Amino acid sequence: MPDNSNRRWRWLRGLTAAGAGTGAYGGRRGRDADPHTLVGAYAMDAVSDVERAGFEQHLVSCEACRAEVRGLREAAARLAVAAEIRPRAELREQTVAAADLIRQLPPIEPADQAAPSGRRLARHSRTAPAASARGWLPRLAIGSAAVLAAAAVWLGVAMHGAEHQLTMVQGRSHRMAEVLGAPDATMMTHQVSTGGVATVVMSHRAGELLFTAADLRALPHARSYELWLMGPAGTRAAGVLPTPHDGMRGPMLVSGLAPGDEVGLTVERAGGAARPSASPILMLDLGS
Amino acid sequence: VDVSPNGPDGPRSPRPRGSRRPPEGRDRAPGRRPGPPGSNGPDLTALLGQVARGETGAFRELYDQAAGQVLGVARRVIRDPAQSEEVMQEVLLEVWRTAARFDPEAGSATAWIMTLAHRRAVDRVRSAHSAAQRELLAAVAQVDYDDVTEAVERNLEHERVRRCLASLTELQREAVTLAYYRGYTYREVAGLLGIAIGTVKTRMRDGLIRLRDCLGVD
Repeated sequence: MPDNSNRRWRWLRGLTAAGAGTGAYGGRRGRDADPHTLVGAYAMDAVSDVERAGFEQHLVSCEACRAEVRGLREAAARLAVAAEIRPRAELREQTVAAADLIRQLPPIEPADQAAPSGRRLARHSRTAPAASARGWLPRLAIGSAAVLAAAAVWLGVAMHGAEHQLTMVQGRSHRMAEVLGAPDATMMTHQVSTGGVATVVMSHRAGELLFTAADLRALPHARSYELWLMGPAGTRAAGVLPTPHDGMRGPMLVSGLAPGDEVGLTVERAGGAARPSASPILMLDLGS
Repeated sequence: VDVSPNGPDGPRSPRPRGSRRPPEGRDRAPGRRPGPPGSNGPDLTALLGQVARGETGAFRELYDQAAGQVLGVARRVIRDPAQSEEVMQEVLLEVWRTAARFDPEAGSATAWIMTLAHRRAVDRVRSAHSAAQRELLAAVAQVDYDDVTEAVERNLEHERVRRCLASLTELQREAVTLAYYRGYTYREVAGLLGIAIGTVKTRMRDGLIRLRDCLGVD
């Protein structure tokens, strides 16, 4: 099972290390005259990112501090436990369904953990075998609220992977939510011919779609993946895929969908081209 | 929903609190939950192991134990019900995805999950809004927030935490609840309370230590 990206590792180590109260999160260094006075604020996330990074530098060399963080985090966790409310019942199966779309990570040190490697499934690719003759996949659960909710959660996770771009993403999240919540929303998954899987959620009514791709082959610096809308309305550039986070690129919001459009993906020079210069490695008929 | 004696809106006049409670301790909550919340619930730890092996049934059980708590903290910090639900689902999926990376040596399963939850909730509000927008959203959300129809789990832990919070000094309690339940940074808390930054840091630490000792967690 390829754990395909160092980024994924660093990101997750950051997250889990923060959860475990050890380790360094991120690479920035904070400067604090007496880092240890921050221990309470740190245990409650009441610090800036820079301060957090600085404090975690401090933790690396301070065993007693790590122990204190551990205890304070247990106490803080009780504050969360005490705030318990009952989730809406339908969220449970939505969440379970979404989990089915998400590949689980192996342990950091397999020898210390119980997870047998054979059980880890590349869940993103489970639809891949269907990509055959025409290279098209049947649509998945059109209009299924559960699947779209799952997609919403999945995209949310993808967005979090780009946590340093979160501010930017947040500005678009409302429109993304509109696409996901549109009554005519449709979700499609398709394998990219050079490797990886693309997922599109679109709404013709909104004239917009969301595009994500997982585990695309890495490109040399001089090249970019570029997305296109192609159809009777002409071929329009729809944007260059961002660099991957956690193996995932996007989600990208594409507007201006016209009837009869297909989505194409090509490899172009870095930064993108005005028109496609290579044959598509993915073509998706969006129907109408 | 309210746990702190000060109410969800932060500092206010203290409310009278219940008396005649048995001493707080490590006794475990009886009742519906197999894994006592906040304890180093062996069940939750065991569930994480099963979840790490891709067992959907175990994930459902874990959801049943943790989702309400994750949602609770998200709701406290974010306020907006829809965003809180999103964060809850993201956190549960993060648990699913990274269950194999959970290290029981570094803390309880509950602490691991709730740390993820709180962190994610705080990230959401800090990145999503300027302070002013946040206040506005909180004010708007407040209308529905106080009379939400969803059932509040008046679990034993709720009472215990409430009681222990009440044992803090007022300043400690305000510092802790403003930071944890509203997601403010210590600098923001200092501004809200009109006290020195160094004092806030100290009160947060001392308050959490007292809470930890009162609750009998490690």
